Amino acid sequence: MLSLRVALRFIAKSRFQSLLIVFGIAVGIAVQVFVGSLITSLQASLLDSTVGSSPHVILEPIEKGGAFAYTEDVRSIVRDTPAVVAISPQIVVPVLATKGEAAVPLIVRAGEFAGLDGIYKLSQRTVEGEARTGGDGIVIGKDFAEAYSVAVGDTLPLALADGTSVEARVSGIFDLGVQAVNEGTAFADSSLLAARLGLAPDEVNVVETQIDDVFSSSAVADEWRAALPQLEVGDWQERNAELLTALQSQGTSSVMIQVFVVIAVMLGIASTLAISAVQKTRQIGILKALGMSDSSTGLVFLYQAGILGFAGTLLGLGLAAGLIALFSSLAAGPDSGLFPIKLQPSFVTLSAGVGISIALLSAVIPYRNTARLDPIEVIQGG
Amino acid sequence: MGDVIVGQGLTKVYGTTHKTHALKGVDLNVQKQEFLSIIGQSGSGKSTLLNLLGLLDRPTEGSLELVGTDVGRLSKRERAAFRNEHLGFVFQFHHLLPEFSVRENLLMPGWIGGQRASLGAARARADEMLELLDLGDVKDKRSNDLSGGQKQRVAIGRSLMNSPDIVLADEPTGNLDTKNTEQVYSLFRRVHEEWGTTFVIVTHDRSIAEQTDRIVEVRDGRIEQDVRNEHLATSGSRPRTP
Ligand SMILES: Nc1ncnc2c1ncn2[C@@H]1O[C@H](COP(=O)(O)OP(=O)(O)OP(=O)(O)O)[C@@H](O)[C@H]1O
Ligand SMILES: [Mg+2]
Repeated sequence: MLSLRVALRFIAKSRFQSLLIVFGIAVGIAVQVFVGSLITSLQASLLDSTVGSSPHVILEPIEKGGAFAYTEDVRSIVRDTPAVVAISPQIVVPVLATKGEAAVPLIVRAGEFAGLDGIYKLSQRTVEGEARTGGDGIVIGKDFAEAYSVAVGDTLPLALADGTSVEARVSGIFDLGVQAVNEGTAFADSSLLAARLGLAPDEVNVVETQIDDVFSSSAVADEWRAALPQLEVGDWQERNAELLTALQSQGTSSVMIQVFVVIAVMLGIASTLAISAVQKTRQIGILKALGMSDSSTGLVFLYQAGILGFAGTLLGLGLAAGLIALFSSLAAGPDSGLFPIKLQPSFVTLSAGVGISIALLSAVIPYRNTARLDPIEVIQGG
Repeated sequence: MGDVIVGQGLTKVYGTTHKTHALKGVDLNVQKQEFLSIIGQSGSGKSTLLNLLGLLDRPTEGSLELVGTDVGRLSKRERAAFRNEHLGFVFQFHHLLPEFSVRENLLMPGWIGGQRASLGAARARADEMLELLDLGDVKDKRSNDLSGGQKQRVAIGRSLMNSPDIVLADEPTGNLDTKNTEQVYSLFRRVHEEWGTTFVIVTHDRSIAEQTDRIVEVRDGRIEQDVRNEHLATSGSRPRTP
C-alpha cells in the first residue's frame, strides 16, 4: 500500500512527465483504435458494397447463355446447405428497351420477388415507386431511369431476340450503388417472360445464392461442384481476386501501422519512465535505508506505470471514440462520399490490453534497477 | 546493563582489483543507553564503521551483534526490517523525501514498518515529536521549504519515530551553523536522558565529542583510543581536526 502511496506522490510531483507519458499512451491507443476501426469499417463497407447486394455462389449451365432444369435434386442440394441464406432461380433475358427513338440494351433478371430481394435487397434500395414485380411490373435502375427519362408508372416496351416484344410497366426505381447495374439491369417476375421464351416451368438460366459468411463461398462452391458436375459453379471470390488482394494488403498494412505505433509508444514510455526512475534514485535509496524492501520499492514503479498506463488507455479510448464520432458525423452528411466508421469493440479490448501491458513492460527496467539499488550509494553520495 | 552493539574483528575492504582496507579488525562494544562519539581524521574509516553498525553495508570479515541478534545471519530483507525496527539514522545530508510533508516524513518509518496510514496514535506521536523539535508550525510544509536546521531536526525526529534502540548519526551537524549545531546536540541529549536511547555519533568536531560520555577515535581503520570522556587523553597523538 505504501508503494502505491509513494507512486501517487511521484506522479503528482513530476506532473509534466506524468502528463507526457499519459498523452503518449493516449495518442498511441487512439491511433490504434481509430486506424483499426477505420480499416475494419472500410473493409466492411467495401465488402458490403461489393457483395452485400450481389450473389456469392451461382449455378449456371456449362454452356454459356443456355438454360438448365432446376430439378428437385438440385434444389435440395442448394436448400440443404446450411450456409445459404438466400436463393434466387432466375431467367436472364437480354432485351432492347425502347423509349422514344432509343433502343437500349437491358438485362432483365426474372424470378420470384422474394429470391431477387434476398440477393439484391431491392426493397431497401428502392429510391422511387415500389419494389414490386408480379404481372407486368418491372423495377429499373436509377441511372437508366435518368438517362432515358423513365418514371414510375411508365410503360416500357421490351424487344426480345426473336423480334417479338413485351409491354412492361415500371413499378419502382432502385439504386444498387453500382453504375453498371443501375444502368443495365432490370428485375421482373418470371411470368413476364418465361412463356415467351418457350422454357419449361423448372428451367432457369442461373441460380444465384447468398451465404452467411461471404468468405466461406469457396468451400460452398467446392461442395456444389462435387455434387453437381453437370453445372458450372461460380464463386464471387474468384471473380473478385483483385479486391481480395487489396483487402488483404490493407489488413496487413493496418497491422504494420499498429505494430509501429506500439513500438514507438513503448520506446517513449520506457525512456520517460526510466528517466523518472533515475530522478527518484535518491528517494528510493532513502526509503531503503529506512527499511523499505527491494520488492516494495520496485513496486513503486510498477504502480506508477500501471496508473499511467490505465489513465493513458482511458484517455486514448476517449480520444478514439471522439475521433470516430467526428468522422461518423461527417460521413452521415449527404453525399459525403465517406463510409460509416464504427468503433470496433475488439480493438478497444485489444488496445486496452496493449496500453496497460506496454506501460507495465516499460516499468521492467526501472523495477530491476530500483530493486538492485544499494541504499549506501545514495547515503554516501549525499 | 547489556551491550546493544557487539562488534568483533570488523573488517572492510573496498574494491576487488584496487583494494582499500577501510577497516582493519575493529572490536567495539556499546552498552545500552551509552552516548558515544566516534572521531578521527578524514578517511580514517568512521563512516565505514557506522554504515556497518547501521546494516547499510556488510563487513568483509568479522561479526556483529545488535540488541542480541547476530545480524550477519540476516537476509537482505530481514536487515531492512531490522533497520526499520531497531535503528534510527541521521546523516550529514538530511535525506528527507521532498514529495512528502514534514509530518509525513516523520510517519514514513512507521508506514514502512507496516503501520496503517490512518492510525491516529502515530499522528499524535508525530505531532508530539514536532512540538518537541519546535517544528509545530511547519508540519504541513514540504520538506524542501524548510531551513537547513529545520530539515535536520525533521531528520532527527524521523530517526526517533519508531523508538529505535540505537540512533546512528554521521556528521549530523556537518552542514549547520553553531547555533543549530548546539540545538541538535541538546536535542540528542534530551532524548537520550528521557528515553534512554543509545547514541553513536560520528563527528569531526572535537568540541562536540567532548560533550559525549565516551569517545572512540578511529585512525587508519583501527581504533586508536577508546576513553570515557572524563579521562580523555590529551596526548600528542590527538588528531588535528580539519
Ligand atoms: N565505496 C567505497 N569504495 C572504495 N573506497 C571507499 C568507499 N567508501 C570509502 N572508501 C575508502 O575507505 C576509507 C574510509 O572511508 P570513510 O568514508 O569511512 O572515512 P571517514 O572517516 O568517514 O572520512 P570523512 O571524515 O571524510 O567522512 C577511505 O580511504 C575511503 O577512500
Ligand atoms: Mg564520513
